[in-house]
Amino acid sequence: MNIKNLIKKQEIQLLIFVLIFSTMITIISPAFLTLENLFDLLRGSSGVAILAIGIFLVLLSGGIDVSSTTIAIAGQYIAINVMMAMGVNNIWFAFAISISVGISLGAINAIFISILNLPTLIVTLGTSSLFHGALLEFVGTRSINSGNLPRAIKEFGKYKILVLERANGSEYGLSVFFLIMVLVVILTWLILRYTMIGRGIYAIGGNQDAAERVGFKVKKIKLFVYCYAGFLAGIMGVMHVALIRSANPQYLVGSELSIIAAVVLGGTRISGGVGTISGTMIGVILITVLEKNLVLLGLSSYWQKFFVGLIIVMGVIITYGDLSRKKRDENSSAKAIEPSSQVNSASQVNKGDVL
Amino acid sequence: MSEPFFHVENISKSFVGVKALDAVDLSIAEGEIHCLIGENGSGKSTLIKVIGGIHKPDTGSVFIDGKCIDGMSPIEAIRAGIQIIYQDLSVFPNLTVAENISINQSLESGQQVVNWRAIRETAKKALADIGEEIALDELVGNLPMAKKQIIAISRAVTQNAKLIIMDEATSSLTNEEVKHLFSIILKLQEKGVSTLFVSHKFGEVFEISENITIFRDGKMVGSYPTTELDSQRLSAIMTGREVTFDRYIYKDKNVDEVPLLSVRNLSKRKQFSNISFELHRGEILGIVGLMGSGRTEIATSLFGLNKADSGQILVKGMPVEINNPQEAIANGIALLPEDRAGQGLYEDQTISDNIVVTILKSLLAKSGLIDTAKRKNTAEDWAARLNIKTPTVEAAVKSLSGGNQQRVVLAKWLATEPDVFILDGPTIGIDIGSKHTIHTIIRELAEKGMGIIMISDEIQEILDNCNRILLIHEGRIVQEINDTAKIDAEDLFKLVSERGSFEAA
Repeated sequence: MNIKNLIKKQEIQLLIFVLIFSTMITIISPAFLTLENLFDLLRGSSGVAILAIGIFLVLLSGGIDVSSTTIAIAGQYIAINVMMAMGVNNIWFAFAISISVGISLGAINAIFISILNLPTLIVTLGTSSLFHGALLEFVGTRSINSGNLPRAIKEFGKYKILVLERANGSEYGLSVFFLIMVLVVILTWLILRYTMIGRGIYAIGGNQDAAERVGFKVKKIKLFVYCYAGFLAGIMGVMHVALIRSANPQYLVGSELSIIAAVVLGGTRISGGVGTISGTMIGVILITVLEKNLVLLGLSSYWQKFFVGLIIVMGVIITYGDLSRKKRDENSSAKAIEPSSQVNSASQVNKGDVL
Repeated sequence: MSEPFFHVENISKSFVGVKALDAVDLSIAEGEIHCLIGENGSGKSTLIKVIGGIHKPDTGSVFIDGKCIDGMSPIEAIRAGIQIIYQDLSVFPNLTVAENISINQSLESGQQVVNWRAIRETAKKALADIGEEIALDELVGNLPMAKKQIIAISRAVTQNAKLIIMDEATSSLTNEEVKHLFSIILKLQEKGVSTLFVSHKFGEVFEISENITIFRDGKMVGSYPTTELDSQRLSAIMTGREVTFDRYIYKDKNVDEVPLLSVRNLSKRKQFSNISFELHRGEILGIVGLMGSGRTEIATSLFGLNKADSGQILVKGMPVEINNPQEAIANGIALLPEDRAGQGLYEDQTISDNIVVTILKSLLAKSGLIDTAKRKNTAEDWAARLNIKTPTVEAAVKSLSGGNQQRVVLAKWLATEPDVFILDGPTIGIDIGSKHTIHTIIRELAEKGMGIIMISDEIQEILDNCNRILLIHEGRIVQEINDTAKIDAEDLFKLVSERGSFEAA
């Protein structure tokens, strides 16, 4: 049994949990298990999933980022304001602005973290407050509701890549959000698995000193990680406003912890170096299903916080409990009797799997 | 004579006014196994870093194959054929064996896209080159230390290394594993690869090296063919003084008394069984055995950290229960742990904090608060008694040298006024000069009536200091050597290391 398999196991456990939970909901409320509801769920969680992937990358590199929701809202709110001020009604323009803001703010994080070598938690705590304060002071605090939003945003929110018809003739379908998420997953997977930067992220998370010594450009890689997280936050910002059809600079901020929780729940080691995208996705699904559907079980939505917390604590007990037990076993058996035949559990592991 | 394949000339390097290296020279021939030896702080590591391109020398040059390569970056040093295996091995626990081995190659190729097939092939070839077999897909974090080392060496091999520098390569290996490592070094030698082996373990140095260069205080104080040196001479050159190791003489006077400690049939499943021995006042009892033989477990068990399943412990004739360290201390037992940095010290805290931590209760004033004057006096008293070299006891422990740190650990436990002091690896990672001081302290303690149990990998240390030796193998006492004067290091070494085959036969 090794760490990787354990995480695999954790992913499977999570998946089973999601399935059991979904079955429960379906029994109580058959409306849950419809294609329409599934599409809705995907539309509602794609943005969070993209943000989670950014956080996943940061965690993988041994850091932590609590500023991503602020960056997303900053990108979004600035994009909408610029669009309205300039009278531009184009979704690509919205993305361009939001992503530029995202990358810039990500780069500011990166400068503190990689150039000045400061601890990531403190830096992102600081910058998230700094970014948010600046946003509220210099851009505004006004909520822009549906009526005033650029039309392109609302159309984008309704755009479907697959359209189906209900019995009564009205239409429903799979949102373009899902496609964006899939593209982000594929892109990130390719980066992690097939580029030296991606391998460098794993290497830094595993042993930063060693990464430096073997010749990885650690600063560059960290710069990339935080800019990429900012890039994803920028994308998410636009998706978020298209989803809820209202731009308010107070939204999103404060939800970063539950996204980090989703990533950690998905098996990403908080100390870096270990984790997979598939795990991250399952973590996000679990948190979203919990968030959206406790009401269907007849529980008040306050229970959501409670259950998310409970699952995280249990998840940690399972992963880390197993790890420390394994360590103890190894110590006692290795030290006890056979020095020569130290346990070399040659098990079938996948080659640095990302997915 | 032809130009040596690798040499450094006249290298000096200062750090903020302190001369770490003072005009040192070193030459290594092609395929030579060369050893660099010196006390802690003698400049070995600095020289390695200069060769590896991490530090720029103030003066002097590094030549390889006749080319001057000073002022290069780490990556250029690698390209020139120099590979450094650091003590911590620089492996990635979260990556597979294949990726760990090939990572330099991948980076060196300059390609931005990862070719997984090439990674596996490189790794397979590197392992084959040194005649090793490790599952390529295993995570390195799951492997024992010795295997990690092989991975670090394989990695060096992928880069067509001409010179491999191993910094304290054997510090966490068992004797068996060290032998294996040496066989790999010899294999590399056949391929014309030179090795610079940095160590301060004499036994290993004499076994593997062809030539020895000795550093002291940043200067090269000698370079000799290994055959011209013996350990006495080497330690004299290294320390600049004649360190003679006379043996501890136990004046057989206390055997009739009730022993300080009697252990009867102490057993713990999978760790040790039927351990029985007695320890008298003034004795230094050595416990030797391979790593994993159960010797450390016995020690921790006596100190209440690893409760035995059955058996009896008697302190001064009275049966006692020892369930935790507090009870051990109350019964006059102290343990100096094997892992000084991890278990023995709070490195960031002050010397005085470290010393008094075991006796805080006795420092309480009537108010229930710690009496600061008493605390300071106690700490200063111990610092003086053990000759801890520091301007003030309020300095952080990590500012001290290894030998002085170990004295702080000793002080901390001596402050509890133990009758029985168990020392697990008392001089691990300590240079020879400080070692001698620590041995002297230990002997004085024994002479004053303390009973000492010394566990060590170093045969010579055990022989010099112990009047009686227990040989542990697979959790059992297989032999007791009552008169250490009648045995020499070679015999004892044989007994310890060959016990396995002897038992099996």
